[in-house]
Amino acid sequence: MTAYIIRRVLYALPIALGVSMVCFTLIYLAPGNPLQTLLPENASAETIDMIKKAYGLDKPIPLQYLTWLSRAITGDLGISIASGRKVSEEIAKALSNTMILATGAIGLSFSLAFILGVTAGYLNGSWADRVVTGMAVMGVSVPNYWLGMLLIIFFAVELQLLPAAGMGPQGSSTFSVFNPQHLRHVLLPVVTLSMIPMGIIARTTRAAVAETLNQDFVQTLRAKGLKARTVAGHVIKNALPQILAVMGLQFGYLLGGSILVETVFTWPGTGFLLNKAILTRDIPVLQGVTLMLATFFVATNLLVDLLQTAVNPRMQRH
Amino acid sequence: MLHHVAADNPRLHALDGTAEAPPKARSYWQTVRYRLRHDYLTLVFGSVVLLIMLSALCAPLLAPADPYQTSMIARLKPFGYKGHLLGTDELGRDMFSRLLYGGRVSLTMGMVPVMLATVMGGSLGIIAGYAGKHLNMAIMRIMDVFFAFPSILLAVAISGTMGGGLRNGMLALTLVFIPPLCRVAETATTQVSHLDFVEAARASGAGLGSIIWHHILGNVLGPVLVYASSLVSVSILIASGLSFLGLGVEPPTPDWGLMLNTLRQAIYIAPSLAALPGVVIFITSICFNLLSDGLRAAMDVRM
Amino acid sequence: MRTRSLGCLGLCMLVLIGRAMLQQVSAETVLRVAMTAGDVPITIGQPDQGFEGYRFVGYNLYDSLILWDLSRSDVVADLRPGLATSWKVDPADPHRWIIALRQGVKFHDGCAFTAADVVWNFDRVTNEKAPQFHPKQFALIRDRTNNMEKVEALDDYTIALTTRQVDALLPYQLSYWFMISRCRLESLKHDYAAYQRQPSGTGPYKFAKFIPQERLELVKNSDYWDTRRIPKHDRLVLIPMPEATTRAAALLSNQVDFVEAPLPDTIPKLKSAGMQVVTNGYPHNWAYQFNFVDGAFKDIRVRKAANLALNRADMKELLRGYMIESYATLLPSMPYYGEPSFKITYDPKQATALLKEAGCYPCKITLAISTSGSGQMQPLPMNELVKAQLEAVGFKVKLEVMDWNALLDLVRPGRTKAPEVDAINVSRSMQDPFSALIRHVYSKQHAPAGSNWGHYSNPAVDALIEEIYATFDPQAQLAKLTKLNEMMTDDAVMLWVVHDVNPRALHPRAQGFVQAQSWFQDVTPIRIVD
Repeated sequence: MTAYIIRRVLYALPIALGVSMVCFTLIYLAPGNPLQTLLPENASAETIDMIKKAYGLDKPIPLQYLTWLSRAITGDLGISIASGRKVSEEIAKALSNTMILATGAIGLSFSLAFILGVTAGYLNGSWADRVVTGMAVMGVSVPNYWLGMLLIIFFAVELQLLPAAGMGPQGSSTFSVFNPQHLRHVLLPVVTLSMIPMGIIARTTRAAVAETLNQDFVQTLRAKGLKARTVAGHVIKNALPQILAVMGLQFGYLLGGSILVETVFTWPGTGFLLNKAILTRDIPVLQGVTLMLATFFVATNLLVDLLQTAVNPRMQRH
Repeated sequence: MLHHVAADNPRLHALDGTAEAPPKARSYWQTVRYRLRHDYLTLVFGSVVLLIMLSALCAPLLAPADPYQTSMIARLKPFGYKGHLLGTDELGRDMFSRLLYGGRVSLTMGMVPVMLATVMGGSLGIIAGYAGKHLNMAIMRIMDVFFAFPSILLAVAISGTMGGGLRNGMLALTLVFIPPLCRVAETATTQVSHLDFVEAARASGAGLGSIIWHHILGNVLGPVLVYASSLVSVSILIASGLSFLGLGVEPPTPDWGLMLNTLRQAIYIAPSLAALPGVVIFITSICFNLLSDGLRAAMDVRM
Repeated sequence: MRTRSLGCLGLCMLVLIGRAMLQQVSAETVLRVAMTAGDVPITIGQPDQGFEGYRFVGYNLYDSLILWDLSRSDVVADLRPGLATSWKVDPADPHRWIIALRQGVKFHDGCAFTAADVVWNFDRVTNEKAPQFHPKQFALIRDRTNNMEKVEALDDYTIALTTRQVDALLPYQLSYWFMISRCRLESLKHDYAAYQRQPSGTGPYKFAKFIPQERLELVKNSDYWDTRRIPKHDRLVLIPMPEATTRAAALLSNQVDFVEAPLPDTIPKLKSAGMQVVTNGYPHNWAYQFNFVDGAFKDIRVRKAANLALNRADMKELLRGYMIESYATLLPSMPYYGEPSFKITYDPKQATALLKEAGCYPCKITLAISTSGSGQMQPLPMNELVKAQLEAVGFKVKLEVMDWNALLDLVRPGRTKAPEVDAINVSRSMQDPFSALIRHVYSKQHAPAGSNWGHYSNPAVDALIEEIYATFDPQAQLAKLTKLNEMMTDDAVMLWVVHDVNPRALHPRAQGFVQAQSWFQDVTPIRIVD
């Protein structure tokens, strides 16, 4: 088992390295030369020199990559051109804000999707099954930023029940999950964000439950005379690894893919930061955010894999 | 999943004991066609998709007005105003015409990357599946690196650094979709490439091209096409998201995602107008999704 | 038993009532403002984010030697004494200004304001060798300080400022230059990153809290030297909200009390929801400044063609009437407007003819624009309309869209750093003759030294400007300024589109706001009435 864990972790390392290489090349994708994209305007000769040395821009490209990587590992992701603050600081704060949304969205979507998916799986083929599948398909087909706009119109502007933007009446620093006033700000973005994961998790749950129900051991359990509830428990336990795997993946997606919803709701998370970085041509921030989010995704995948194997050793991937 | 599947033939189960000569087994593709023809729901969605694509293609014939013609006195007018079937947008242009023409950009930006990625990713996957262990590992590891990015993040990062625009957006989306299609193709290929009949073909001296064409492609095409069709709706959503963020086409080119962005200001005066492009994206996306589901059921693909 | 429980009950009630009363007394009145800026303006002295930074951060945390009188809405705002009580030119040498400083003013940290602070602040924005020098601060105010040669303290409360060139318009320049606290910066060992979170000035507000990209909170300075301007609310919260629809939604859902530049399309809804929508003319110019060296606009025929191509009446429809059509840099109501001979009308045929004559047909141009920002009004739809109208006469327009601060960063170094850009869409202030006219056409103001982005050069104009600088008689100065406006209009130095009317939306609970005819506004008189 430990051998498997070590192998899995070692397997993830080259992926993480590859991810960092892709993030590094982003600088070269930007129009203009890299020095231009990294420098604030009006930079003095000193600043130009400093940036050149810090990024190793006068050295050959592989060496540049290594310089950048070594600094990134120690947490130094450079300075934001637009704000002059450290990129790692901005990302850390933004990431915690996005975590709140992602956690809420996963919680909400999982709860709904689980109930819907198990029901549909049991009632395979019936109209209830079709309704659930239909809802799941709708969830993954809706442009979620559009849904966000609709929710804002309805709940914030027309009914004036919920706030339209931002993260709490006093901003993110005082945000507390235990404060109902602050939770009002979380509600709409979380609902919007949970649409797609709900659709995907519901479908996976339904498929997993239906598949499990078809397996022989279920017949055996029923034949043994066990109560329906107990059988259900076994079915769910068997289907759980797949469901958890999808949940984990979706969490990673939410962290990385929240840019549209955060833009609509002005939620100061990583997506919002990314959007601003694009508008202000702030390449260090763009690189840093992409690297951070992708690394998180790799780590989440790894964790999900290991958990899956822990729950069901037969699912070891070669 | 094998190439040749004997279809259910009722005559084989005749209870009268008469031993009839078994009729010719239906080919796989015939089964698919049979299933599709009787799956009414999928046919409906397929027709809707076809309708949407045709209307976008024939936009110059169908559009009642010039999608670029502005009129300041007729801004944000409601449905049916003076012949504007779906009203006018924030610069007085006919919404119906803009939605029709917008379909060209949005559908192109949604479908072309998937098509390109199918060809490129599919080929890579077949090569990886058929080739030896080392080449396979090399290709799949590289794909894994790109898999490590959530799709929208990668699309935004690539097109954002390149400065946006239609070409960069499509390039970014193609890059995003190559890895999953490659993986699907590779899985399907490895399942077959070591089977007996393929070994036999290899032993009998058949050329690489002929082996791939006759034995492997048929096996791979099913899952790849089904997966690609499911990717189209995702691609349309991400493409419209890129346009919404300003990374797609430039105004005044009509495009559903961009229209959602520019119509945001209208949500206080004409909320139904502001929501309209989103409705169109939603419908298109759902239909592609359900069509892809129907195809999967017909082709009996387990993903 | 009963008496005891009754007694307990009574005590509880007393405690609750007492707490409620205390809460009432200690309840803070808060004014929440939604700005069009994309981020919180910097607090280290000269603000960024354009004039919105000045409006909400600069003039609130700090004072300048000369301030603007923002107390009236019926006249165009003009200068009044700030940290300086009087200023006049030395009769012996017109390069030298003797300025008397206000006595008894203290910075927020308690240190007294004296002449030495003015000298120190001058070094801060001009002297590279000084430890308090900051390159970005230097760049931000360079166009106004580049004529200032030196500042010396004559005594504790008098300074002498020497200009390189005689400048009758110096007092206007002084109104944009803020005095920051030397005590505070020195105690932080000249670390501006730390100073950003602990700024200290002499202004009507003190710094309270700063969350990057989210909000800046200021609290009232009860010891402010101008007692009439001590804020009538306790706390000012500034929130960047570059999206116009988000600002409207925030006001309607009671997240903010004061909103800058609401979308004209949302104004009917705001009004019907009971919000106060105020407008007032002000010296504002929404136009495009040309690149006179690279690209198509170096030909005057192309410049004139662009001006004739615009249907400004259509723009008025787009903005639902919230604008004034612009045919020159100045508003016709300004005293030095004059009678330019280039009369701009909507004449697309003539525009196309001019383009063909100039040999630029189709004429490819790139316009650099922003998504929002101080004075930029509604840049995206407006630019779409301009693009459509220009293309109708034969231009081929590419729009380069960026964040407001990013656009300012592109503009500051001048056309040499962006030769592919043919015109920039940066709204300009016309508060004073230098800002209105001189800085756009004077060759000594070629960016990055000043605001002449496109490097316009005309010896006749330069000569006229030098005369203006040397003319201290108001009547004579007015005549020359008028001639300058006429020359600029006739040479089509900009693509003129509209003048803004400065719409703002306030919640009914925000009472007492007087909208000045200025880019700057005074929010201190606002009371929060619940």
